[in-house]
Amino acid sequence: MTIRFLLLVNKQGQTRLASYNEMVPLDERRQIEGEIVRKCLARADTQCSFVEHRNYKVIYRRYASLFFIVGVDAEENELAIFEFIHCVVETLDRHFGNVCELDIMFHLDKAHYILDEMVMNGAVVETNKAIILQLATQYVRSGEEAN
Amino acid sequence: MVAPAGAQKTKSKEFYDIVRLIGECKNKSDEDAIMRREVMLLRTILASPKLEKAKMKEYLIRLMYVEMLGHDASFGYIHAVKATHESDLSMKRVGYLATSAFLDENHDLIILIVNTLQQDLKNDNYLVVCAALTTVCRLVNEETIPAVLPQVADLLTHPKEHVRKKAVMVLHRFHQRSPDAVVHLHSKFRQMLCDKDPSVMSAALCALHDLILADPVPHKNLVPSFVSILKQIVEHRLPKAYDYHRVPAPFIQIKLLKILAALGVADKAASSEMYSVLSTALKKGDNQINIGNAIVYECVRTAAAIYPSPVLLEHCARVVSRFVKSHNNNLKYVGLDALSCIVNINPKYAVEHQMAVVDCLEDPDESLRKKTMDLLYRMTKSHNVEVIVQKMTEFLRSATDRHTREETVSRISELAERYAPTTQWFIDTMNAMFAIGGDVVKPAAAHNLMRLIGEGSGEDAADATLRASAVAAYLELLATKPKLPKVLLEVILWVVGEYGVLSGSTAAGLMDILCDAVEAQPEGNKVQAQAMTACAKLAAAGGAAATGTGAGGGECQLSEKAARLLARNLNSRSVDRQQRAHEIAALLREAPAVVAAALPPDASCEDLELDPALPALDAFVRKALAEGASPYQPTSERIAVLRAGGAAGEAAGSLRFDAYDAPTTAALAGAVYDPYVPNSAGG
Repeated sequence: MTIRFLLLVNKQGQTRLASYNEMVPLDERRQIEGEIVRKCLARADTQCSFVEHRNYKVIYRRYASLFFIVGVDAEENELAIFEFIHCVVETLDRHFGNVCELDIMFHLDKAHYILDEMVMNGAVVETNKAIILQLATQYVRSGEEAN
Repeated sequence: MVAPAGAQKTKSKEFYDIVRLIGECKNKSDEDAIMRREVMLLRTILASPKLEKAKMKEYLIRLMYVEMLGHDASFGYIHAVKATHESDLSMKRVGYLATSAFLDENHDLIILIVNTLQQDLKNDNYLVVCAALTTVCRLVNEETIPAVLPQVADLLTHPKEHVRKKAVMVLHRFHQRSPDAVVHLHSKFRQMLCDKDPSVMSAALCALHDLILADPVPHKNLVPSFVSILKQIVEHRLPKAYDYHRVPAPFIQIKLLKILAALGVADKAASSEMYSVLSTALKKGDNQINIGNAIVYECVRTAAAIYPSPVLLEHCARVVSRFVKSHNNNLKYVGLDALSCIVNINPKYAVEHQMAVVDCLEDPDESLRKKTMDLLYRMTKSHNVEVIVQKMTEFLRSATDRHTREETVSRISELAERYAPTTQWFIDTMNAMFAIGGDVVKPAAAHNLMRLIGEGSGEDAADATLRASAVAAYLELLATKPKLPKVLLEVILWVVGEYGVLSGSTAAGLMDILCDAVEAQPEGNKVQAQAMTACAKLAAAGGAAATGTGAGGGECQLSEKAARLLARNLNSRSVDRQQRAHEIAALLREAPAVVAAALPPDASCEDLELDPALPALDAFVRKALAEGASPYQPTSERIAVLRAGGAAGEAAGSLRFDAYDAPTTAALAGAVYDPYVPNSAGG
């Protein structure tokens, strides 16, 4: 009942954010990310957002040019994860204001801090946006003040 | 692409330049080139004595980019570790972030941050404590747990709820890595369940779920608590901030549902405490939006897992019905899964949706087809096994993902073995499976099939018919499809070798067919060995047949092609093939009776009796001894002779310092030479 990884990949297959719950070697990551994105791209919009890949399941959701991709174990509730992805997007949206691919790229650290508040140990640990952002923004704010 | 306004405050122009470059590049090779330059640049900067500490945050993020795009940045790991020692919060946090991204729990550099983590866990600033906890969760391993366990356990009573929540998750991680280390803290998890902060309670649910999955019994007394919490959530008693799309704490609801499922399995008492809240959750969750459907789906899974309640299950069936008939493929997918959960409780649910399920089998969406296969697999019984296995075999034909193919093949084998109506059907099914799925079939499946044919049912007539039809089917396959999967070819070679003569063709004709098949095979080498043995068996049968019909001087002969196959392998690099070739050639020169004794027909399943004393060779030994051969000396006697010193008076086993005698021709002429008896060769 675990989230194994969370990826943001654009439709050209370029990875914009990668968070792995378990250690996966670099070259294997590239391979997996490539394979999964190709699978997702090959599917039509009307087809379901769940794909089986190797011995786990992948849930993906497309927002403009970005694919949000979550890899989970077989026992996970796919529809719940599908909505969790949307929760992540809503949280990013609340912080960045109409979040886009560029925001993530220029503020990779902040995006990670937000995610770190939401997923721990491969489990969904916090979906309350106020709490998430209260913590995540503190780590960058102090830096801004210092500069 | 312009850098976002106000960004100059936090990061330098170089950072925005590199990110812009990455964003603008059009293909992988451009990106690789940019990254290679970036790696060189960062290496230089980080090695320079004029390295500016203030810019380290940026460099670390750039290093993260490098690795995210697939290039190695290990030269920078140590800087990430160093950054964690800083007192400035944002620098420290980036250090922890980068370290978590770069290292894994088994990395050598972990020991360098343990001390920092220990200190940070005691820091006055709760933000520092949280950063440390998040990192511990990612990087701890069995060895480092003891170093931080006491501090983390203390943090369970920290005034800040963020800290308590993360402390629980860290302890959960400890439990996953080394259960024994936290056995004494199990009661703490139960305590944290009652924490006044819902986030902390939710974290406790994660930990308790794992404990319950491992052993539900000690936690059955928590059923009332879980039921009560779920009830409160569903009744909107949590702060509004925990709502998602107006649904109260849906992800916590789902966690609770999973826990209840684990606790209610086969337990009537525990389950009956849950029916009421499950019913409420099901009703309230049914709101047509995705997250509501997710809750409803989980309710169905829970209802199906625990001791059944007919009323609840009827309600679930109505919901499942709606999902399966939906036009939304996500709902259909989830509906099929839910259906496969309830279908074994009451098969009538499957009947109602037969048409929808059949439609899904043909759906262009591969995920739906796969889900339908899962459903069919769960539904298989002896009355529908033939249809279902046929559908699975068709599915196998179009499936491309290796894991899916392996799973399908193993399911077909399992169902065929468990429910096969007739042996003939089993053989036909296996043949089809080998032909389509030969690349993922395990060798054990092939052996099972061969054993089945070899053992037979005990009734000679029925067995003969079965084997004859198997041979006929295989010969047909060989004729129509020249290239077969290796595993299937091995089965064919064995069956035709053993029972080919039942088909009515001549031994020689069969041998030719087999040799042709082996030629056509791309990886023909290993199967050549099997082919030779098969031809030998056919020759034995052919010779026996010839003797039996009275045609005098019956000899076991190989066809021309078979003989050529043998000749090719006499010098084969493979010891196995070389040995077989020589043995078969030697064997076939003997009289047919001998050959028949060595390769008896239909004896594959008979036990071989072996007497280690090899009495059959007694005559040979007596003859040799009579001719002057020296008798066999068992090892114990040889060692005794050595210890006794021998004729030259040397101590046994000591080095010999005088030169050996020069060899004479007599010594090499063939007398028996025993190295432990000096002068035995007469030299």
